[in-house]
Amino acid sequence: MSAVVENHNHDDHHHGPAKGFMRWLTTTNHKDIGTLYLWFSFAMFLLGGAFAMGIRAELFEPGLQLMDPIRYNQLVTMHGLIMVFGAVMPAFVGLANWLIPMQIGAPDMAMPRMNNLSFWLLPVAFTILLSTAFMEGGLPGFGWTFYAPLSTNYPNVAFFVFAVHIMGISSIMGSINVIVTIMNMRAPGMTLMKMPLFVWSWLITAYLLIAVMPVLAGAVTMLLMDAYFGTSFFDAAGGGDPVLFQHIFWFFGHPEVYIMILPAFGITSHIISTFSRKPLFGHASMVYAMVSIAVLSFVVWAHHMFTVGMPLAAELFFMWATMIIAIPTGVKVFNWCATMFKGSITYETPMLFAVAFVVLFTIGGFSGLMLAITPADFQYHDTYFVVAHFHYVLVPGSIFSIMAAVYYWLPKWTGNMYDEKMGRLHFWLSFVGVNVTFFPQHFVGLAGMPRRYADYSLQFAEWNAVSSVGAFLFGLSQLLFLYIVVKTVFAGKKATPQVWDGAEGLEWTVDSPAPYHTFETPPKVNG
Amino acid sequence: MAKGPLQNKIFLSLLGAVAFMFLFSFMLVPLYNVFCEVTGLNGKIYGPSDFFKTEKQIKSREVNIRFLSTVNGSAPVKFYPSSDNLEVLTDKVSSTTYVATNNTNKNITLTIIPSVSPGLAAENIKKIQCFCFEEQTLGPFETQEWPIRFYVDSDISDNVNNVYLSYTLFEKNRENPMAMNHE
Repeated sequence: MSAVVENHNHDDHHHGPAKGFMRWLTTTNHKDIGTLYLWFSFAMFLLGGAFAMGIRAELFEPGLQLMDPIRYNQLVTMHGLIMVFGAVMPAFVGLANWLIPMQIGAPDMAMPRMNNLSFWLLPVAFTILLSTAFMEGGLPGFGWTFYAPLSTNYPNVAFFVFAVHIMGISSIMGSINVIVTIMNMRAPGMTLMKMPLFVWSWLITAYLLIAVMPVLAGAVTMLLMDAYFGTSFFDAAGGGDPVLFQHIFWFFGHPEVYIMILPAFGITSHIISTFSRKPLFGHASMVYAMVSIAVLSFVVWAHHMFTVGMPLAAELFFMWATMIIAIPTGVKVFNWCATMFKGSITYETPMLFAVAFVVLFTIGGFSGLMLAITPADFQYHDTYFVVAHFHYVLVPGSIFSIMAAVYYWLPKWTGNMYDEKMGRLHFWLSFVGVNVTFFPQHFVGLAGMPRRYADYSLQFAEWNAVSSVGAFLFGLSQLLFLYIVVKTVFAGKKATPQVWDGAEGLEWTVDSPAPYHTFETPPKVNG
Repeated sequence: MAKGPLQNKIFLSLLGAVAFMFLFSFMLVPLYNVFCEVTGLNGKIYGPSDFFKTEKQIKSREVNIRFLSTVNGSAPVKFYPSSDNLEVLTDKVSSTTYVATNNTNKNITLTIIPSVSPGLAAENIKKIQCFCFEEQTLGPFETQEWPIRFYVDSDISDNVNNVYLSYTLFEKNRENPMAMNHE
C-alpha cells in the first residue's frame, strides 16, 4: 500500500508503519532504516564469521586439510571485506539512524529518501561481490587491502571494484545525511557542546568518511583502469609504481580504521556513565580527543608500510605521529576510568561489554604502540602479531561496543527487556572466546609466524589449535546472541521509558518501544 | 521537516567535498611522482645523463656496485648480469653488460625497469647508456648482450659504500593478463 504513497504530507499524517514487505523496501523512517541496517550487518557478521570459522578450521593443525591455498586466500579476503564493509560499518550506520534523531530531538534524518537508498545499495553491492563465488575464477583472493599489481592480475576484479564503488556511494550518502541532520535539526537549546557523545562521535566519523571514501573510490577506479584499460598507475612495467598504491590505499585505510572505532567511543561513554550512575568525566575533553584522533589519522598512514623502503626521515615522522595518537586515546581511557571511579556501578550486560571494551581495546592499543616503533615493526610486520593487534581493536573493540549498544538500547527499540541471565552468559562466552582466540596470536606472531598462509611450521601448532578452539567458541556464542535478540523482539518483561535508572538523554524521555514518529515537535533542551 | 536554504548549503558543500576528494585521489599520482623526483626518494632513475665534466673532479673513492636482475611473473626469458659486482671509482665512467635469452620461438618485446638501493643514492648514479632507456626486442631463441655505461657522482654520500642496481624485466603485451591464477 505504501508503495504508491508519494504524497508530500506522507510523514505528517500517516501514523504507524505500513504492512508487509513493501514497508521495508520503501520506508523513509529512520527507525525502520536503522533496523534494516542492523539486521543486514548481523547477517553479514554471521557470514563473515562463517568464513573465519573456515580459516580457523584450516589452521587448526599444520598442513593442508580442508582447502587449497587459493580457497584459503579467498576466505581471508572475504572475511576481511565482509567484516569491515558489511558488518562493522553498517552496524554503526544502523545505530546512527536509530539514535541520532532521537538523541538530538529531531523527527527523522534530514534526507529520508536518500537514507532509504543508502541502505538498499548495500545488499546490491554485496550481491555483486558474492556473485563471483559462482563464476569461473571465483571470489577475490588478494586480501581486503587488494594490493596492486596482485589484484590487477586477478580474475573477477571488476565485480570487486563495482561492489566497492556502490558501498562507497552508500557510505557517503549516509554520512552526508548524518552531518546535515546534526547541523540542521538539533532541538532548540542543544548547542554543539551539549550534544551526546554518540552524536559527536558520529559527526566526526561522517566527516572522515566524506574525506576518505572518495579516495577509496579513486584507488579502485585506478585499479580497474590498470586491469582493463591498459593504464599503468601501479604497474612498474608501464612506468607506474606499486608503492604508490599502498600510499593511496592507506591514506584511505588509516582514517577507515578510526571510522570503525570512533562511534564505539561514543557508545562506551554513554554506557559507562549510565551504569556508574555518574555524569561522564570530561565531556569536552572527550570531544577534543576524538577530533584530535580524527585529524591525526590523516598523517600516519605509512606506518602500515614501514618495510617498503622509505627514507629514515619518513620512518621517523610516521613513527612519532603514530605514537602521538596514544595521547588523546589515553585521555579517553582515563576519562572512562575516572567516570567509573567511586560510581555506584552495576554490571548489566551492556556494562560488562563496555568495561571489556575499555580493557581489551587498551591491550590492542598497546600492541599498536609496539607496532609503531619502526625498528621493531621490521620484525612484527606481516606476522600474526599484527593480526592479534587489529583483531583486539576490532573484535573486543568495535564489535563489543556494537553488542553493548544493542543490549543497551534494545529495550528502547523493542519495548521488551532482554533476558539478563542469557545476556551475561553471551558476554562471558564471547569474552573468553575472543581472548582464547587472539591472545595466543601475539605469541606465534612474535615467534615469527607469517600472515596470509594456509599452512605453518610445526612449532606454531599448539597455539594455533588453542586459537581455533577459541574461535569456534566465539563463533558459536554469537548464535546465542541471535537467539537473545530475536526472543527480545517478540517477548520479554516490558521496559519502562527510562529503562536504566542512570540513563540520561532525550531518547529515554520517549516511550518504550519508541513510537514510530518521535519529536514531531522539538523538545526544549535546558541550559 | 526543517528543510531550507541552510540544509541545501550544507548538502552541496559536502557534495563538493566528496568530488574534491575523488579528484584529489587522482592528483596524488602526479604529486607522488613529482615528490619522488624532487626528493630523490624511491630509487628511481630518470633518463640518461650527460658525460660528466672534468673540472669538478677532486677526490675519487671506491664504491661497490652490485648488479641484480629479476624476471617479472612468468616471462619466458633468462636474464642476468654478466658480472655480479664492480668496484668503481667515483666520477669515472664504467661499463658492464646484462645478458638476456628468449626461450620461445616468437619475437618478444621487453621493458626493463631499473631501481637503485639505497634510494637516496639514485640521483648519484649517472647513466650514459642503458638498455633500460628503451624497449628491447628479442627474436626466437635469441641471446643478446645489453650494455650499460654509467658513473657514480662524487657527490654521493660518504655513508654509502655499496649500491645495488636492480633491473626488473617485464614482458610487454602479455597475451592474457587475467590468466595468472585459477587455470
